[in-house]
Order: sequence, then structure tokens, then C-alpha cells
Amino acid sequence: MTERTTAPRPDGVQGPSRSSRRPRRPGALETLVFAVLLLVVAQQWLVPRLDAPALQTWATIFVSICVQALPFLVAGVLVSGAIAAYVPPEFFHRVLPRRPALAVPVAGMSGVVVPGCECASVPIAGSLVARGVTPAAAFAFLLAAPAINPIVLVATAVAFPGQPEMVLGRFLASLMVAVVMGWLWVRFGRTTWLRPRRRHSPEGTPPFEMFRRSVQHDFLHAGGFLVIGGIVAASVNVLVPSSVIETLAERWWLAVLALALLAVVVAICSEADAFVAASFTQFSRTAQLAFMVVGPAVDVKLIALQAGTFGRSFALHFAPVTFVVAVASTVLVGCWLL
Amino acid sequence: MNNEVQPVVLVLVGAAVLKISLGEAYLRYVKESLQPFLVASGVVLVLLGLLSAWKDLDRGGNSTSSAPVDHAGDGHDRAHGGPGIAWMLLLPVAAIFLVAPPALGADAASRDSGTVAGPRETSFVPLPEGDPVPLSVADYAVRAGWGGADTLQGRRVALDGFVTPAEDGGWYVTRIAMSCCAADGQAVKVKVLGQPAPPADTWVEVTGTYVPPDAQDPRTVPAVIQASGVVETTAPSNPYL
Repeated sequence: MTERTTAPRPDGVQGPSRSSRRPRRPGALETLVFAVLLLVVAQQWLVPRLDAPALQTWATIFVSICVQALPFLVAGVLVSGAIAAYVPPEFFHRVLPRRPALAVPVAGMSGVVVPGCECASVPIAGSLVARGVTPAAAFAFLLAAPAINPIVLVATAVAFPGQPEMVLGRFLASLMVAVVMGWLWVRFGRTTWLRPRRRHSPEGTPPFEMFRRSVQHDFLHAGGFLVIGGIVAASVNVLVPSSVIETLAERWWLAVLALALLAVVVAICSEADAFVAASFTQFSRTAQLAFMVVGPAVDVKLIALQAGTFGRSFALHFAPVTFVVAVASTVLVGCWLL
Repeated sequence: MNNEVQPVVLVLVGAAVLKISLGEAYLRYVKESLQPFLVASGVVLVLLGLLSAWKDLDRGGNSTSSAPVDHAGDGHDRAHGGPGIAWMLLLPVAAIFLVAPPALGADAASRDSGTVAGPRETSFVPLPEGDPVPLSVADYAVRAGWGGADTLQGRRVALDGFVTPAEDGGWYVTRIAMSCCAADGQAVKVKVLGQPAPPADTWVEVTGTYVPPDAQDPRTVPAVIQASGVVETTAPSNPYL
């Protein structure tokens, strides 16, 4: 069992490995070492050229989005790895109602007790689906957990002092989005949109090894998509002047749409979005609510993460519908409460 | 991305997080309260990477039996188990190690209107004793914009912040208020009258007295200060409010 199969043998005889089946390319490790060396050498030349203030602002915002999301992402992949390795599928069959239509509101309400951010809930929802939880319920959890957990609600109360109806409005509208999306999936969703989740480990792997591999894979995967989301969000932040958005504040439906779209592209974490929403003082309160309801449900960072976890086809169907449902819920709740 | 590189990427990401979170550099990007979580996730990633590298070595390169191989997939896990998208993680790592982006400054502030949201309380406590009274730009701006201007009347105040040039040739003393990370940073600006503009991004202490802004509604424009003195200072370790 000491036969080495990954590298050509010194005598030129190759084992029955992939290298005998495909032309030999420079390995990823060599590429990585080369890339790092190149960057270190280029630094002298590169850094002074990155001096343009706008580019620096972009880099700061890009790095800060990645840094901010990282602990939540790590927590999320640890939990999802633990679910994959240690929680038997029967557990979810026991706690969730058998009928998907009933499982959806239960899963949505469970978001209240799980303090997490969007970056954590995507991998968790992914492993719930892999463990046999009905996708509709997993998506209700995915949408509810970052939007209506206690931390977010307290942050909203602090950001809108003396306006408890904003907290209530946020809670109701976000829960409505989660439950409606779950039911829509029960009625219209197709499992063919979901990329079949690959097993990271063959049968019989010890649980810890399964946990380790799942965490590693999920982190590398979701992390890569997170970076893409960060690039988009930082670019919008730098390129779109806030004055453009502020001119839209005058018509109420334009204002709602403008802040909803802004929430999609700036991808601020749900614990902070209330403070940003409160700073849009020229906007109606329904528009501010739209910013807080849409953001945790659908933003560029989330779309990228969802595409990575569930597949591109899923994200293409799920994200636009979520946006429409979120805006509609906001308007409904806004008309009634605010 | 093959199995040999994955541990390296994990360690690199973990090391980058530890590099900024064990010093003060993380304060340029996120809130102070995130520090323990940053350190913890950095440690987890480094340990995970080391464990993974050790497992690979332990297997002695006999990886074909233990690595999941996906030939029929959509290219997402090309041949050797690792997602290609993971290469993107090297981008923030490179940014942290090689560029170390500075805290947001005048460029970011010039993109914001610089006005502030309304205060929690509608009544304002009188300014504390002292001449000049040290005051944060946010406190000054809220008092000036939201009905507390009378508490500023007749008092000399000192405001700390960096210099943001204004479009009309004037300048603002500025701080950026941050609630989670720099992406949600909101500039709070106070227009400085009566003193020539120092270079952008210089940290200064402006001493002066309140004057009303030249606008119908004071909530829609930055507050204004009639300055009697400007002293250059050093940037605080946490540049945000």
C-alpha cells in the first residue's frame, strides 16, 4: 500500500493514476506558489499604483465585507458540518411536521431562536436539505434566520428609537417572506433546480473525518462565492453616488423600489442594515422597511452563496421571486402598520 | 483546486485574519467587538488547514481512494474534490498581506451627504463644563441639525476628525460612523468656516463656535462651525465613531 500514484515515478513509469489518463499540467500547488511569489515581487510596483483614492476606498470596503462575514461563515460551516456528520436524518423527521405545508411555518419560526447572519444560514440550509429536510422548510429557515433573530430585532429597535412599529413591521414582513417562499416552493418548486449535493466522504467514514471534510469543502466553496459577492457590493458602493439614490426619495413607490434594489446590491449584514436604513432620513418609513426586509432575504452576496450551495439554476429562480415577494410583503405591512 | 492546495488556502486565510485581528489593523474594517470572533475563526481555519495537510501526508499520497472524484459533475468539483471558486479566497488574503487597505477617509466621506439621523431623545442635555468643550462631530451635528442648537450657542467647542475637501473649495471636519463594517460606514461632516483647508485626510482638532447653516431645513445639510483654530493631530487607533 505504499505505491505512490500522484506523481510520475523517477524511472518514468507511471502508476494507474489520473496523470496517465490526462496530459500532465502544472499542479495547483505549483500555481499557488508561483502566484504568491509573483505577487510578492510585484508588490513594490503594484502598491504605489493602487494609490488612487477611489481604488483604496474600494479595497477597504471589499476587505471589510470579507472580514466581517468570515466569523459568521466559519460558524455556519461548523454547524452545517456537525449536522452532516452527527445529526441523524431521523431527527428532523421527528421535529418537523410531515406535511411540507406545515413544516414551512415551523421552520420559519425556528429562525427566531437561531441568531445567525445570512452567510451562516446558507450552508446550514444546504446541509438540512442534504439530511432529507424538505427543501421548502429549509428555505423558510434560510430566509427567516438572518432576518428575525433576536440580535437583529434588538439592533432594529436601537436604530429606530421610539418606533416599535418598525421592529414589529420588520418581524412580520420578513416572516411573511420566509413562509410565502416556502409555500411557493411546495407548490411550484422543482428539485431539478437543485444541484445534487455531492457526498464528501464514502460510506463508513468516521464521523469526525466526515465533519472535517464537510467543513473544509463548504468553507472553501462558500468563501469563494462570498468573495465574489464582496467584489460586487464594494464596486456598487464606490461607483453609485448616493445623490442618485436620494433623488428617488420623492415618489413613494420609487423610493421603496430604490431602497429595495440598494439593499440587494450593497449586501450589508442584517445586524447592521437597520442603522443604514435609519440614516436614509429623506425616505418614507415603508421604504426604510423595504431596505431591511429585502437585504437579509436577497442580496448579491447571498445570491452568490446560494448559487454555490444549491446551484446556479436554483439561484436564478429563487432570487427574483424572493425580491418580488419581499417588496410585496413590505408594502402590505407598511400600509397596515406605518 | 486539488487536495494539496486546499490546506494551504485554509492556512493562508486563517493567517490573514489572525494578522489583522491580533493587532489593531482590524479596526480599519470592522467593529472592535468582532475581535474575539475573528481570532477564533482564524485559529479554526489554521488548525483545519494543518489537520488537513497532516491527513494528506498521512495518506502518503495515496489519494485516489480517499479523495472524492467527480468526473460526471458540472465542473464544480473538478477531478480532485475541491471547488475551483475557492481560488477567489486568495484575493482578500493578498489584499490584507500586500496592500493592507487603509481606513476609510476623505474619498469615502466625499461620496456621502454627511447629514445625521435623528437622535433618540428630543431633549438635549447642556454641554459639559470646559472651554473649549471637546465634542464628537456626531454629537455636534445632531445638536445642530435636530433642534439642539441653543445648547451650542455661546460655547467654544473642539471637534476631532479628518479633513474632507468640499466641492465649493471649503472643507469639512469628518468622522465615519460605522455600525458593523466599513461597508455600512456613514460620514458625519461639519463644515469649517474661517480657516484654510489642510490637505485631505489630515487629522485635525477644530476649535470654534456654532453658526447656523445656510439652509431652510438644517437636517438636510451638514452642520457648520465658525473656526477660530485648527491644530494637526494624529489619527486615533479606532478611526470610526
